[in-house]
Amino acid sequence: MRAIPTLKISISGVRGVVGDSLTPQLLVRFAQAFGTYVGSGTIVIGRDTRTSGEMVKQSVISGLLSSGCGVLDVGVCPVPTVQLMVRRSGAHGGIAVTASHNPAEWNALKFVGPDGLFLGAGQAREMLDIYHQGEYTKVAGAEMRAVEEMPGATDIHVRTVLDALGPLPASARRPRVVVDSCNGAGSLVAPRLLEAMGAEVIGVNTTPDGSFPRPAEPLAENLGELCAKVREAGADVGFAQDMDADRLAVVNERGEPVGEDYTLVLASLYALGLERGAVVANLSTTSALAAAAGRFGCQLYESKIGEVNVTDEMRRVGAVIGGEGNGGVIYPRVNFARDSLVGMALVLHLLASTGQTVSQILDSLPPFRMVKEKMPCPSNKIKDVMKAILRDYQDHPLDTRDGVKVTVPGGWFLVRGSNTEPIVRVVAEAESEEKARRIVDAVFAQVRAVVLS
Amino acid sequence: MKPLKIGVTGVRGVVGETFTPELVVGFAQAFATYLDGGRVLVSRDTRPSGPMVRSAVIAALLAVGCEVLDLGVCPTPSMQLAVPELDAAGGIAITAGHNPSQWNALKFVRGDGLYFNQTQGEELLDIYHQGEFPKATWDSIRTGVESADAVPHHLEVLKRAFDVDAVRARRPRVAVDCCNGACVNLIPRWLEELGCEVLAINDDPTAPFPHNPEPRRETMAQLRAVVKAGRADVGFAHDADGERLGLVTEAGEPLDEELTLVLAAETRLAQRGGGVVVTNVSTSGAVDIVASRHGGRVVRTPVGQAHISEAMVEHGAVIGGEGSGGVSVPEVHPTHDSAAAIGLLLERLARTGERVSEMAAGLPALSVAKHNVKVEPNHIYQLLQNFRAAAERDGLDCDLTDGVKVTLPEGWAHVRASNTESMIRIIAEAGGAADARRLLDWARDRVRP
Repeated sequence: MRAIPTLKISISGVRGVVGDSLTPQLLVRFAQAFGTYVGSGTIVIGRDTRTSGEMVKQSVISGLLSSGCGVLDVGVCPVPTVQLMVRRSGAHGGIAVTASHNPAEWNALKFVGPDGLFLGAGQAREMLDIYHQGEYTKVAGAEMRAVEEMPGATDIHVRTVLDALGPLPASARRPRVVVDSCNGAGSLVAPRLLEAMGAEVIGVNTTPDGSFPRPAEPLAENLGELCAKVREAGADVGFAQDMDADRLAVVNERGEPVGEDYTLVLASLYALGLERGAVVANLSTTSALAAAAGRFGCQLYESKIGEVNVTDEMRRVGAVIGGEGNGGVIYPRVNFARDSLVGMALVLHLLASTGQTVSQILDSLPPFRMVKEKMPCPSNKIKDVMKAILRDYQDHPLDTRDGVKVTVPGGWFLVRGSNTEPIVRVVAEAESEEKARRIVDAVFAQVRAVVLS
Repeated sequence: MKPLKIGVTGVRGVVGETFTPELVVGFAQAFATYLDGGRVLVSRDTRPSGPMVRSAVIAALLAVGCEVLDLGVCPTPSMQLAVPELDAAGGIAITAGHNPSQWNALKFVRGDGLYFNQTQGEELLDIYHQGEFPKATWDSIRTGVESADAVPHHLEVLKRAFDVDAVRARRPRVAVDCCNGACVNLIPRWLEELGCEVLAINDDPTAPFPHNPEPRRETMAQLRAVVKAGRADVGFAHDADGERLGLVTEAGEPLDEELTLVLAAETRLAQRGGGVVVTNVSTSGAVDIVASRHGGRVVRTPVGQAHISEAMVEHGAVIGGEGSGGVSVPEVHPTHDSAAAIGLLLERLARTGERVSEMAAGLPALSVAKHNVKVEPNHIYQLLQNFRAAAERDGLDCDLTDGVKVTLPEGWAHVRASNTESMIRIIAEAGGAADARRLLDWARDRVRP
């Protein structure tokens, strides 16, 4: 098999490996295409702590200035801060320099529209057309605009969360919280927010230097240090962020990861208590979320996977809260974006208002166990994999809006190609981990058969 | 005609047309590849496209694995001095020098602070065209850009090179036009160090160029007015990045830009009792006359600073420069530096008590006539050949140092390709204006087929 390419250009943005496919030429052209697409307005730019961040940022600034944009540089900050600042500043768009959960050698551009949301599929395709056509707006020197640095963006973000949800009630016991920011963009922001809310904060991996002390994805297997610290400190809860602080995973008071699909469940339990209304999640989300919504008599709407699809559906149904099973919580009262800071605030308020522990709260929900696995698969084979699944499970309830979701006795599974890497992802949920894993194994056997055929 | 010129002296174009961020990234990557990593200094003049070009240059240098030290808005000669001082492998000056505001360019400086020579420039172009550059990986790429100020060191070197005490004692009154360029950060400070009373105009680096940044008679009207109204001893006019200098006498009369070097050469040769002057083949014969007056010798090179610098080092020159107003004083560094030229002239003014008009009156009176012919790039070579063939038919010897230069009884005519634009430059010089004009017309007729 030939080498799997390291460049992924899609409606999610452009993503590649530094020192390989992610060159300044490519970045400059994408920034020009985006500048052309937004019609030379003001663009907010922020980045995570990756070592290549400065190179990527300078490439982007050059391309934006060349296409007549003004640049508002908010420095190192979470992706949701970029999205918030686009709305707050009335900018015409934003570029977040981050490969979120990808390993250290990756970096990426994510494009934000004037509403603070990532570009929708249609918008992203228009932008990609401009990129491929290669004819970008070029302004003369005299019309070139400036770069304005704005160091206080994360303060604004913290204040926005506090204004919306408030600090913890004075009557509540002061919780002890361990936060693991993966030395990413959350490092300087998360501890500040938690302290401002009134928590006692213990930081793990909160040096924003772009070193990867653990894989960036806040999956259970990557959170050993956080879990140990929670146990050692006798903390009430542990929080784990990814590099760009859009995703959040929760560790319970016993130092056990609850699974990142439960972050939205916990957040919704508090948000729906404040205000009844619709919940939106993608179709890969745990059934526990439907159960949590049902407790408040609220409806769960399932969307295609991808933050932009969730936010589209949230706007359509006027959702109170939404998000994704990967730990992305979207709470429009603060920010129409996956925002780990909002997620932390909601979870802490839930603990304070119920007086219960994380495990007590989750034990009150019906048991579901989810297994997520991925497998390398060349992009050109993904279609064949889907066809094989559709053929083999044609007698089951199927949802083909995004990959293939199959409801099987006692659970469900979802197979889809990644938008960001040449892999196939399989998610399965059942009442026990063993059963879920058995479902995944069956699917992988089919993938393997197709790839090798 | 597309305004882009890629040559051994760098790459130059019009922003919004040919001088795109992709082009800049490619050249900066090629330069970083040539240097094989290491520390690189980046300076820029005040053009509004400077920040765009700067970001592209920094991104490319980081991507190849260089460490970047950003000098911000800074004269090119200050950057050149800082390269060896800061142990840098090289430098990139983001400036189109004397070109109008819509232009920008990259100029490449090697580890000794001098421009790439012909061979090095050709090697750089080969790397650029091959398009294969090293790529720093995530665990080797530099994570940020440091800033530094190159001007204090430049001032130290200038102070050591000239008789500052003598100038301070004389306390000259000096009018200066920085053209809102990079000199704003150097020249007023240098003049204050020299104890001058400074009348500065166009010293706002955030404002656009008030006129073309080429210190010529037609751009010096404002400065002349300030010299007269302020009763200054002299007026200094600058380009955008501190290489070229134009002079206005105490009477408010602008000197032809050719005379900046002639005056500087005479000053230095008189001080030293002779020595080698390096200049290009297209510069006024007045240099030869002042050299012979003081027992000096002139070495002629092709046009361009890189040639002047190399020949100055090779011949141990006491001064060098070009008819464009660029003067190189080796005690500072063998590269064009308007601050050094100012030091030389103010030192003379203070020591001899002469007025600038008196100094100018002592210079040989020659007349220069110039004409530029804009041509498609693919016609340049043929037109030069036409001129050469016609001259040889007339039985004239052709000096082929740079283009074609012929000497006739009444003077000389020189026809060459511009290094910076797609045009042919014709220049003629004779004892009187009418003769110069006639020579120019004679040459122009022979450039045509």
